[in-house]
Order: sequence, then structure tokens, then C-alpha cells
Amino acid sequence: MASVQFSNLAKSYGDTPIVKEINLDIDHGEFIVLLGPSGCGKSTTLRMLAGLESISGGDIYIGEELVNDLHPIERNIAMVFQSYALYPHMTVEQNIGFSLENLKVEKAERIKLVTNVAEMLELTPLLDRKPKDLSGGQRQRVAMGRAMVRSPEVFLFDEPLSNLDAKLRGQMRKEIKAMHKKVQTTVIYVTHDQVEAMTLADRIVILNEGKIEQIGTPKQIFDQPKNTFVAKFIGAPAMNIFNLSNPKIQHDFGVSMGEHNPVLLGIRPQYLYLNENEVKGVEKAAFVDVEVISSELLGASRHIKCKYQDQTLVVETASHDATVKGIVRLYFNNTQIHLFDENNNTITH
Amino acid sequence: MNSITSQSVPHKAPAKKGNFWLRKGNKIAPYFFISPFFIIFGVFGLFPLLFSLYLSFHYWEPAAGLAAMEWVGLENYIFAFQDDWFQKSIYNTGVIALKSGIPQHALAIPLAFFIHTSFTRWRNTVIGVYFIPYITSTVAISLVFTTLFSRDFGMVNQVLTSLGNFTIADMKVLSWIFPVENIDWTRPEYTKDMISFVVFWRYVGWNTVLYLSALQTIPRDLYEAAIIDGANRYQQFRYVTLPMLKPMAFFAVTLTIIGNLQLFEEPFIITGGTGGIDQAGKTAAMHMYITAFVESDFGTASAISWILFMIIAGLTWLNHKVLGGSNH
Ligand SMILES: Nc1ncnc2c1ncn2[C@@H]1O[C@H](COP(=O)(O)OP(=O)(O)OP(=O)(O)O)[C@@H](O)[C@H]1O
Ligand SMILES: [Mg+2]
Repeated sequence: MASVQFSNLAKSYGDTPIVKEINLDIDHGEFIVLLGPSGCGKSTTLRMLAGLESISGGDIYIGEELVNDLHPIERNIAMVFQSYALYPHMTVEQNIGFSLENLKVEKAERIKLVTNVAEMLELTPLLDRKPKDLSGGQRQRVAMGRAMVRSPEVFLFDEPLSNLDAKLRGQMRKEIKAMHKKVQTTVIYVTHDQVEAMTLADRIVILNEGKIEQIGTPKQIFDQPKNTFVAKFIGAPAMNIFNLSNPKIQHDFGVSMGEHNPVLLGIRPQYLYLNENEVKGVEKAAFVDVEVISSELLGASRHIKCKYQDQTLVVETASHDATVKGIVRLYFNNTQIHLFDENNNTITH
Repeated sequence: MNSITSQSVPHKAPAKKGNFWLRKGNKIAPYFFISPFFIIFGVFGLFPLLFSLYLSFHYWEPAAGLAAMEWVGLENYIFAFQDDWFQKSIYNTGVIALKSGIPQHALAIPLAFFIHTSFTRWRNTVIGVYFIPYITSTVAISLVFTTLFSRDFGMVNQVLTSLGNFTIADMKVLSWIFPVENIDWTRPEYTKDMISFVVFWRYVGWNTVLYLSALQTIPRDLYEAAIIDGANRYQQFRYVTLPMLKPMAFFAVTLTIIGNLQLFEEPFIITGGTGGIDQAGKTAAMHMYITAFVESDFGTASAISWILFMIIAGLTWLNHKVLGGSNH
């Protein structure tokens, strides 16, 4: 177990900055998820921590130790790759035991450790198989076993579930969570899947174009996004955001253009309701009138796309609201709107 | 004009007796279109193959015409096996194949690994340099090497003897390892080495390119996983690179077996078509050529070619046992 600290961490390829001045303190035993759109530098950050990529600026500490120039093996980290990167010519047992062999762990001890890990991950009956004879989920578990067997200080995961189908992903998510509970090691987990981030993380770090946009618990990130990027990035469908230059919108949402001078307004599709009595927490619900354009069934819920003051707006409702057409009234709780200033930052009330 | 004709038979879509090739259900046209391959393969591939098999069981003086063929059963094969010169040529072929083949691969793999890991910008140029011998005419190569290895003025002898005669305080300090006098490379004990060296030199680049292409398909992730698992450079090579090269090694070694057992041009030119003193440089393919075109014994020559074929097939099978059976 160890804490991890990035201070002013930076990386550029040639003149192109990829990671810009990242500062982050990770407590030991914490499950941190790096979340961001494709190409924002998540993998690069993780690989710098692993020692697979040189750093262009700043420092990385694992525990108390500055690891900038340490070889990956000296950092005592383990990594699970998106492609799993299992050695195709080795059996499951050899795959898991390979690092121990390199570390010159005695054979008896090695077998014991591999057996334990295999037991924990239910890989025991598969120990003699080659990776090509395993299913996707089993390969994933072997990759995890390979990481776990060394009892590393920090676990790194780079989009480990993105090659699995949706159902298996859900199951592996639970297993990773359970594994973390059991071994209590610091985990840094890269993904661009918000469901994974929400369900796994103690804290989420939102990255965009090599910068940290927000750090917080899943709830904080969802309920109190710091800016429009986070607000739009988290939550599906994305938050509805309107420009407040239209006085009608100001009036409908009851926004006073006072001291903070808000420029944009946001409300989540989940917080707009077709029935007044669904609105909780206020005596009198506010409302807007909109025109239904189309609606989309997603099983348990339905997304209704509407036209509102020349802008589109999406509402998420229960799936049985199939008959809505024409002009409808949407109710909401006025405290559930977000206001942003001219720099796209959230105005806290 | 056409329109009138078609109006006169309005309901008969493509007339039955019309275009034979376009008629629906024509079962012959497709074969016509793929026939060039079969005709060419039949004439230049299958026919000579079967004819040489047929020939190997006959005695035939080609000048006397096809009618002069005489069935002799396995006699050609028995004769070939009992022929000292054939045995010797097989031995020569084997020695040259090993002496040129093993170093080829032993050098090509590390060389490919080195080029792969150490060059980025100049990689293609370096590969090109190594590849040039492969595309150069064998005759030119063999002539150049004959000159290099010539006794009195050859560069090889000049370098070796100058090293052997290297003196410090009147002592020829290197004379125990390098020769002090010109070596006659045409002597039988050197012939095979000389041929092997030329063959080795020529095909190293080819094998390097093969291995390099295989190296480029090894996912980078695997190396990174190995680095994180604490493997040093040698262990990465031993536990990631080598196993991943196995399928290509099988392919490359198979090509070497086939090529080396059919070795003809290099020994033919280096030994001036004679096989050298004491036949020391005569390969099986040369022996076959001489049997057919010098001694006009096409039956035995065909038998030899089929024996060679079986040896190649056997060795390839063995190679498959050792290196085949892929991981993927
Ligand atoms: N070797 C390199 N040379 C130049 N640019 C690179 C190199 N490696 C990565 N990049 C760039 O760095 C940026 C960040 O890459 P990175 O792999 O960290 O993205 P990511 O956040 O992991 O994205 P994804 O979710 O798609 O995996 C990308 O724009 C990429 O093009
Ligand atoms: Mg990535």
C-alpha cells in the first residue's frame, strides 16, 4: 500500500503538450478513476506512473519515494493492459508466475503464490491452458492475476474492460471492486466509460486535453460539476445547456441576472418531469412549455427530444409515457439547475 | 435494325440460340475463364513433374527419341544410391547446407532484433543494404568471391596474411591464429567453406528481412507487460521475442532447407562447373545436372531429383515437428 502523488506532472511529444501540469494526491488504498474523452492523456499519465513513458516535467512520488527515474520494476506497480498482453506461448500458470520468476522468487513460494491468486480468481482449473483457449473474461482474470500475484503497491488499469461485452463488463466490474475491497491496494484505473467510473471510484479525476477539470467523489462530480465540460461529460443523456441571452429562458427558469452574471444554464434530463407531482423538494414546481420532436425508447426509460426556444432539450422519463405529442409542459425543481459564468465555470449559489 | 428484330420476337428474352456464352445456366463459361491457370500449370508444372517421375523408372537416351525409353523399374534409384559420387554430393550438400544455414539464422535473428530496436530513421536503408546481396546476380557474386578468395592477389589472403605477419618487436604475435602465407582456397578442404560463406553472406539479409517483418508484428504491449514483470532485455528477447518468432522461424528455416538442398548456381560457378578438386564442392543438384546434361542419363537424373525431393520433404516434416505447431 502506498500513496501516489503527481506534482506539476507534464508530458509533451516534441512541441505538442499532451499532459499539462497535473497535480494530484492519491491516498493509499484509494480507488481513483481517470476519466476523460479519447486522446485526453489518460493512458499517457498512467504510463508515466508505470515508468513506461519518460516524463517531461514535474515529479511522481509513490509513498515517500520520488520515482521519476526508477525502472518500472523498482516502482513496485502492476498494470493490467487493455489488450491483456498475456504471453501467448505460456500457460496461465506461467503467465501469472512470470514476474515472480524474474524476481527470483523460490519455486515453492512461487507455486504457493500462484495457487493462491488462481484460487481467488477462480482460475485453478485453467492453470494449464494457453491464453488462446480462454474466453475474454477468463483472459481478463489472468491479466488481473498476473498483476495481483506480486502484491504491488499500486495497481494500474488501462481500460481493462473495454474488450468485453456489456454483460461481462458488469460482472468484471463487480469482481474488480471486490478485489479492491479484499486487497485494499491503491488502484488507478483509466476508462472513458462513465458507468465504470461511477460504480468503481472512490474519487474520479476528470481529464480534458491533458488538464484536470475536476476531482471529486462520483456524487460530487454528478451533482456539482465545476464547469460545463464536466456537466456535459458526466450523465447520459448529456445535461441540457441553454444560453441565457434569451429573456424568455431567464424568465422561465427564474434566473436573476444579478451579481454573478450567469451566461449559461443547465438542467439534467432526469430532473425534468411530465407530471407536477413527480417534482420533489419544492412546494411549487417551476415549468416550461416545449414542443415534442421525437422520442426514443431505451427499455426502462424513454428519451424525449423537444424544441424549446429554438434550442433542443432532452427529457428522460419512464418508458410508458409513449403518447406525449405536441406541446407539453415540463416541471422541475428550481434548485436543480446549474448556472455557469462566461468562462464556463459553475456559479455556486 | 436491331430494334426491329427484337420487336419481331417480343416475348422471347435472350434467345435460346443467341449468344452461347451469355446463355443463362451456361456451365462451361466459368471454366473457360479460369482455364489459363490450369493450362499453364498443366503444361509447365504438372506435366514435367509427372514426366520426370515416369522417367525415373526408365532408361532413356534422349537423342534416340521418345520410343527409346526402356522400363527399368527401381534400377535408377538403386544405381543412384550406390553411386559414390552421388553419396558424396549428398554429403557435400548437407555440409554446405548446415555451414551456411545455421549461421544464417543464428545471425539473422539477433541482427533483426538489433535493427528493430536500434534504428528508426535509417531502418529501411540498413535493411536495404543487407538485402542487396539477395537481389544481386549469383554469377556476379560468385565471380567477385572467386576473386576475393584468389590465392595470390585475393583480398582475403592479403588481410589474413598481413594479420599473420603482424610483428611487434620481431615477433609475429598473431601467427598462431592467422596464416603467414597465402592460402590456396581452391584446395578441397576449403571448397565447402568458401561456398558456404558465399551462400551465408547472400541469404543473411533475406532472413533478416523475414525476421524483421515478424518482429514488427509483435505487439508492443507484450514487451511493456514483460518490462513491468521485471524482465530485462535478455529475458524479453528470450521469453517474448523468440517464442513470437517461432512461426516465422519455421517458414524461414523451411525456405533455407529447400534452397540449400537445391544449391546449384554458387557451387557451379565457384568451382567452374566441375565440382572442384576431388568433387569437394559438388552438390546434389550439380550432380543431377551433370548426370542429365553431360552424361545424358535422364533416367538417373530424374531419380536423383525425386530422391532430393523426398529428402526435402522429410526435413521439412522434421522442421515442422520442431518449430511448427503455432501458439495462435
Ligand atoms: N508517441 C507519441 N507521439 C506523439 N503523440 C502521441 C504519442 N503517444 C500518444 N500521443 C498523443 O497523446 C495524446 C494522448 O494519448 P493517450 O493515449 O494518453 O490518450 P487516452 O486518453 O488514453 O485516449 P484513449 O481513451 O483513446 O485511450 C493523443 O492525442 C495521442 O495522439
Ligand atoms: Mg488510452
